[in-house]
Amino acid sequence: MVAFRNSDSSGRTTGLLLRCVLYSLLALGLIIVDKRYDHLGKIRRLLSIAAYPVQVAVESPFEGWNWFRRSVTSRDVLRADNAKLQAELRLAQFRLQRYEALEAETQRLRALRDNTAGVSNRFIVGDIMDVDLDAFRARVLVDKGASDGVFVGQAVLDSGGVFGQVTRVEQLTSEVILISDPTHAIPVQINRNGLRTVAVGTGDSSRLKLPYLPTSADVIAGDLLVTSGLGGVFPAGYPVGTIAEVKRDPAQSLADVDVRPAAALDRSRELMFVWVKPGAVLPAAASTKAPTPAATPAPTAAPASGTAAAAAPSAPTGPPPPAGANDE
Amino acid sequence: MMRDDRISRLPMLLSAVVALALAVIPLPSALDALRPDFLVLVVFYWSIESPRAGGLTLAFFAGIALDVIKGVVLGQHALALTLMAAWATYLRLRLRVFSVLSQSLTIFAFLSGYQFILFWVDGATGNPVTSFSRWLAPVIGAAIWPFLASTLGRLHEQR
Repeated sequence: MVAFRNSDSSGRTTGLLLRCVLYSLLALGLIIVDKRYDHLGKIRRLLSIAAYPVQVAVESPFEGWNWFRRSVTSRDVLRADNAKLQAELRLAQFRLQRYEALEAETQRLRALRDNTAGVSNRFIVGDIMDVDLDAFRARVLVDKGASDGVFVGQAVLDSGGVFGQVTRVEQLTSEVILISDPTHAIPVQINRNGLRTVAVGTGDSSRLKLPYLPTSADVIAGDLLVTSGLGGVFPAGYPVGTIAEVKRDPAQSLADVDVRPAAALDRSRELMFVWVKPGAVLPAAASTKAPTPAATPAPTAAPASGTAAAAAPSAPTGPPPPAGANDE
Repeated sequence: MMRDDRISRLPMLLSAVVALALAVIPLPSALDALRPDFLVLVVFYWSIESPRAGGLTLAFFAGIALDVIKGVVLGQHALALTLMAAWATYLRLRLRVFSVLSQSLTIFAFLSGYQFILFWVDGATGNPVTSFSRWLAPVIGAAIWPFLASTLGRLHEQR
């Protein structure tokens, strides 16, 4: 028996080694092919359809709980919500009056400048799935995929501002990298003076940083950062965050600037996927979109028109080189 | 030993699917880094207890499933799991007679090796994760190994 087992197990060890080498080579091959070439996209999509039931199963208890909580909200809460929403709607409509006037004005100016870059962005709304991806990367899974027309590199917003961009598209789902991921950078400009720079994620969903601003840069806490539209991924003029803190160390040549993201990166449930017309990413388009973010942070109705009016002249100064060059 | 041949693969597949679900179940972000690699532990258990039922095949396909569901480069978890499951299978006879503590320590070594391969592939494919908290998962995994092994053992014996 002992002898039998010995021969048996040594035979098995060879088999084990063989299979181990085989599977490892297969896995290595997959890594290389997946990294270097694009052939695996289809296989991946098929596999992800197989994984979809697991993701839905994981999500369903949380969905159920949310549904239960929604269905048993008390009347008081609903009434309070209703009052709040109506107040917000009034405010929004008030701003919209300004917005339409501004948009009409912009269209006129555009016509004058013979620059008909379309700004009509198309949106679809997706829900974040209650599924945790890698713990060390700021990514979320959203229930819209290739079948909805989502594509890699697409800009994703939430109701507050820029949320991230699509990194991977499967048939029914897509993966979105948050702007707070340490490997993510987004071209931004300061809404007040048009200073352009790049905001980099920190891995902390409540903080971005601006690592490339010199200590002498004109940036103060409270400045609004909007997308600059450079780079061609994000549409111009959407809010990215507000400057939380500026630390200037005279010994360093670069300032240490912290940004608080405008999007609720750790709380949002619904995201908007945006289609940008190619023309709209021209820096000149910033002037069209700038009133939207400028009006957003205004806390009350009274100064809202003032802010929007103030932002309107400030916005064209945002991207001065192209606008100035075109006018003269 | 010969019992392995007649092993039904149902508990194996069932536990693997449950562990796969546990790998993506949402946790508060503070706890997320502490999440043990359940599927890896389950694969180790089956590699040690019944390698004939296809522990290595399970390891490879469980790894592919993890790659797909976590959205990393295809083959990363498959490579790490295959190598570590082969090591576990190789040491299984010794592991079975180990005390609980030394078993946990060995599992810790396997899990660290697993994380190291992931770390290496991450770096080689250009998404390095330098956070130190990645090395917490092996500690937690080794700590829950005795409970997991006894739970799976009960599932295993019940038939």
